[in-house]
Amino acid sequence: MAHRLLRDHEADGWERSDFPIICESCLGDSPYVRMTRAEYDKECKICTRPFTVFRWRPGRDARYKKTEICQTCSKLKNVCQVCLLDLEYGLPVQVRDTALSIDSNDSIPKSDVNREYFAEEHDRRARAGIDYESSYGKARPNDTILKLQRTTPYYKRNRAHVCSFYIRGECTRGAECPYRHEMPETGELSQQNIKDRYYGVNDPVALKLLGKAGEMATLEAPEDESIKTLYVGGLDARVTEQDLRDHFYAHGEIESVKMVLQRACAFVTYTTREGAEKAAEELSNKLVIKGLRLKLMWGRPQTSKPELDGSDQARQQASVAHSGLLPRAVISQQQNLDQTQGTLFYNNPPPLQQERSYYPSMDPQRMGALISSQDGPPGGPSGSGENKSSLEKQHYAHPMMPPPPGQYHHQYYPPYGYMPPVPPYQQFPPPYNTAVAPSQPAATNYPYQHSTQPGTSQTGSGQAAHAPAETGTSTSGSQHQ
Amino acid sequence: MPKVKTNRVKYPEGWELIEPTLRELQGKMREAENDSHDGKRKCETLWPIFKIAHQKSRYIFDLYHQRKEISNDLYEFCLDQGYADRNLIAKWKKPGYERLCCLGCMQPRDHNFATTCVCRVPKQLREEKVIECVHCGCRGCASGD
Repeated sequence: MAHRLLRDHEADGWERSDFPIICESCLGDSPYVRMTRAEYDKECKICTRPFTVFRWRPGRDARYKKTEICQTCSKLKNVCQVCLLDLEYGLPVQVRDTALSIDSNDSIPKSDVNREYFAEEHDRRARAGIDYESSYGKARPNDTILKLQRTTPYYKRNRAHVCSFYIRGECTRGAECPYRHEMPETGELSQQNIKDRYYGVNDPVALKLLGKAGEMATLEAPEDESIKTLYVGGLDARVTEQDLRDHFYAHGEIESVKMVLQRACAFVTYTTREGAEKAAEELSNKLVIKGLRLKLMWGRPQTSKPELDGSDQARQQASVAHSGLLPRAVISQQQNLDQTQGTLFYNNPPPLQQERSYYPSMDPQRMGALISSQDGPPGGPSGSGENKSSLEKQHYAHPMMPPPPGQYHHQYYPPYGYMPPVPPYQQFPPPYNTAVAPSQPAATNYPYQHSTQPGTSQTGSGQAAHAPAETGTSTSGSQHQ
Repeated sequence: MPKVKTNRVKYPEGWELIEPTLRELQGKMREAENDSHDGKRKCETLWPIFKIAHQKSRYIFDLYHQRKEISNDLYEFCLDQGYADRNLIAKWKKPGYERLCCLGCMQPRDHNFATTCVCRVPKQLREEKVIECVHCGCRGCASGD
């Protein structure tokens, strides 16, 4: 069949198709794609039958990709014609099959004429409309799949190949060389074989993924028994509070859901500790809302209030310092405060700070306006919160103007304390920090507000905050001196 | 009398002035034709041919149309004898194609999606700034650049 030299398309039953079966990543990020179609251009890498080859460029910085296996083969395993990964989950065949316990390997012959015959038969049946069994559509995703699946397209695989001349040091093309001038990745993962990947046998990437799935750390419950709140990170505008509630209600009664859009995170508090633990266990690596993979962690405990303010501030500074988001100039004056910080990870709530004896009521800037906030120095959190919100809202701050009650938007972790019932969480940017903020130019840049230390002189903080930042908009001149 | 008619070339006036340059260019072309292919890509081996052909045509085009230093006779003679490409020069007379590298790069029939070669795209509209078109090795022949 495949060895005949004369092309008799109909008789041979060679495959023709009108559009490739490909995944999002392979199709690319550009909405404009020009694709060439060449009938019977190449032979399928698996069954070696001629098939229609589609070739296109998946985006501006991508190489040209073309379909490598025929549609018959791709339908048999429900994979993309180019990358041979599952169409729904983006996982290698071996991973998907072991996770879903599908084993179709026995039925697909792998050698020579047998394989061609099988593929032809399958193709013929499909074309004739005879229903063949495809269990892929019906399988429900299980835990492992949910943990491992790719939720967003991965365009790195569309990059140009590595320049083999560059590896030897001989690339004479220089700037116009379209291949990547990087050293190739070595290691087990670089020896992959298309047939192995297709049949789901001995695939190094799959083995690595499966190993990783087995070891994915489940969220450990924190020792402090009073913590009933889970931190959800990686939020987007698409995820609403209702979505969170829908996902979390099944595990226990939700006491509150606080979303902090500024920080792309949310805090879900349960009424019982067991509920929180159950939720953590069930959702820990599998939380995907509207296609967005979310990170789930335990929230941090709340300390007593006076400490809270002080430590909040310190913590905030610490988090500010370590998050890498702020210019050093802003953080530099805070550095000496941060000595006790350990390494801070971006998503982790900063560790507890030592106590500071600064009460919000000592701050002359505190306005004491009302906002529903945690108990504490009455003027404090609310004052700062409002200050902050006002900062946010206006581009300049009136030192004397009581900020209108508004939503407290935080750059960092939310002041959990805003929940009227006793909130377990520590407020990250200390509420009273913002009290100082109004005197400074407001915020285009949130971090600056956070980082100013209420305790330090206003000028000091003003200078620090202003130096890198805004072009001196408004506010009291005294700040600048 | 020999029955074979020979076509002996009769050089028009002015030929002596341009002959040395033309002979030199022809020599370059022969060299390019006989060059070895070592160290070059398959497409790259043909680039000097296109380049020298462009150069030859350019010389004659310049002499006649820009500097007007040769007569119409001599110009036509050169074109007939194959020292320059008539069709390429015809394109150079059109607006927008003044610097065209070769005839293949602007022919949509020769390309996928009926476009022209990337060398025809002006540098500011391109994404990659440094390119060598695969066809003739041109680095950019848009009139603006």
